[in-house]
Amino acid sequence: MVKHGFMLCLLLAITVWAQSNVNPDISLIGTTGISTNFTKNDPDKGKLVFTDPEVEMLVEGYLNPFAKAAAVISYEDGSFGVEELYAHVVNGLPLDMQIKAGKFLVGFGKLNTVHPHAWPFLQRPLFHQIYFSPDGFNDIGANFSFILPFESFYSGIDIGVFRGDALTHSISAEDTYEAAKQRRGNNPIGVARWNGFFTLSDESNFELGVSIAGGLLDKQAVSVTGDTSLPSVIKALNFCYTGLDFKYKYKPDAYTSLVLQGEAILNNRDVVRSYSDGVNTIQNLDHISTTGAFMSIDYRFDKQFSVGCKYDFTYGLIGDTPGNTTLGNDSKNKTMGYEGWIGYYPVEETLALRLGFQSLQFSVADGPNPDPRNTVQLQMIFSLGPHKAHPF
Amino acid sequence: MKKIVIVLIAILSMANVFAQVKVVTTTTVISDFVREIGKEKVKVDYICRGDQDPHFVEILPTYMLKIRNVDLFIKVGLGLEGWAQQLIDGSRNSKLHVVDLSENISKREVPTTKTDGSQGDVHPFGNPHYWLDPENAKIMVKEISEALIARDPANAAYYEKNTHEYLHRLDAKMKEWQAAMASKRGKKIITFHASWIYFCERYGIVAAGYVEPKPGIAPSPSHNADVINIVKNNGIKLILMENFYSDAAPNQIARLTGAKVYKTATAVGGSPQAPSYIAMMDSIIKAFDGI
Repeated sequence: MVKHGFMLCLLLAITVWAQSNVNPDISLIGTTGISTNFTKNDPDKGKLVFTDPEVEMLVEGYLNPFAKAAAVISYEDGSFGVEELYAHVVNGLPLDMQIKAGKFLVGFGKLNTVHPHAWPFLQRPLFHQIYFSPDGFNDIGANFSFILPFESFYSGIDIGVFRGDALTHSISAEDTYEAAKQRRGNNPIGVARWNGFFTLSDESNFELGVSIAGGLLDKQAVSVTGDTSLPSVIKALNFCYTGLDFKYKYKPDAYTSLVLQGEAILNNRDVVRSYSDGVNTIQNLDHISTTGAFMSIDYRFDKQFSVGCKYDFTYGLIGDTPGNTTLGNDSKNKTMGYEGWIGYYPVEETLALRLGFQSLQFSVADGPNPDPRNTVQLQMIFSLGPHKAHPF
Repeated sequence: MKKIVIVLIAILSMANVFAQVKVVTTTTVISDFVREIGKEKVKVDYICRGDQDPHFVEILPTYMLKIRNVDLFIKVGLGLEGWAQQLIDGSRNSKLHVVDLSENISKREVPTTKTDGSQGDVHPFGNPHYWLDPENAKIMVKEISEALIARDPANAAYYEKNTHEYLHRLDAKMKEWQAAMASKRGKKIITFHASWIYFCERYGIVAAGYVEPKPGIAPSPSHNADVINIVKNNGIKLILMENFYSDAAPNQIARLTGAKVYKTATAVGGSPQAPSYIAMMDSIIKAFDGI
């Protein structure tokens, strides 16, 4: 009896030990806040709006000595979703290659691969919203990563192939997204990024990146004659994004840092334009070449506080319905944004309180400019569990 | 033809003789030990500078590049270098051998209950600042020696000789330090962070309080008031702190109590007075002069 009891205790102890040692790391990031706006004619002007809480639960661990896996389950806008789910082979492959496969934030630019809670600012850059989606460039595919053989500085290249559906958001509203995906069909897109990392001194580092993405964005039935009795012609609408990014960080001591960061995109894409010949509405395939960029500066002082500002610019109108034929991606309309913030981090990254102000100003070619949209937001972010430090 | 083959074999043998074991360490204390044992037969580099807080090291690609082609990666362990695994993964070095020097250390402050954020930055496997006890330094040196011998058995005798010589020097210095600290046994001090337990145990010093309310938590006015009371009530004369922490709160406590703030390097190269582990310990022992 005593022997059985001992064995039972031993088994229980082994089980508990195994549970705590084998389980993956689980961490949870929560974001909540309140905002108000000072936009002319807005019915909510001056009212406090409690934003829906957002949650990211990260589960990650090693599968074996060569590979890791991670899942990010998110709760956003009242629904759960899989934000990221991937396996990552980190060593043991020829040419020191790393392979990441699954659904994840695509390495186009520096910022897109970083989850928003780790950004110094509160608002997603405007060109992300126009050219990617409201949630950035997050797609299903595989990425192959290499370190280039330079001894004096770090340089890497990433080459990926993705399903391409994420960018469908840039030409379709939520309610037309599934239809746009159907039109697009199975046509993977390609993404590549080169980055160089330079240590300037013990206190300062600089990273430079160049990205490119291209492929088929949409297929549309185009009425080239305007005669509805004649069949439409299916046209392929292609795109090519080129991006440039940089980040400079000066950190003279444990309590102070200055981060200067910026990205720019050059968008070349086919669009459908409609015009009337007086009788019929004729559609033509056109090509637009537009840009977007942001630059931010964040100064961390006294360990617990930061202050910063960001300038944002993009072609297209934020808040407009995206589409191949709408103003959302037109080359004639522009949005500019100015953002400022104060951050308070009581204990490292476990809790952050950020007060931010953003002013959006619009420039519309055909018609009156919408009123500037001014928003004040107080955001609280907490991090629970063994959330790992973010790389440079 | 025969001569050419002999010359080639000779060149290859020479290359083998001059081949260095490549090592990257997380801290400069470890790299100092590696240098003492391996001398010209090792090529050693480190990640965390001596004047940096080893708890918080940024994940930089250049660090990954440092680890990419080395044989050994040696760390303190016990969760001090939470950043190390990301660097190892980023290095893509599948031949890398990782040595955790904490394995044979008699650990202190190992939590016996579940740890969480309410306790501050508590290390779940025990306090990792064990190198501040020279007895533990000897254990680290022996572990490093074994790791180098396992990697480069052809030079085992060389490493053993250097290890023996270094331990002999360390023993001699330990006698000096012990003598200098003999009259300080039972003295109470304040430390900034909970990083001095191994040092205090070795020399019979009592850490009566910490400037940080909890490990990793920034000093607060109410906690400063508590520390001031501890200092006054116990006649404490020394506030000992690592030189990478802000001295604003310790200086305030010192102004109101008359205690002395002593900022010191706790890693090699952390100050001009600490070009080696032995010199670093010398400078820490000096903190107790006159108390």
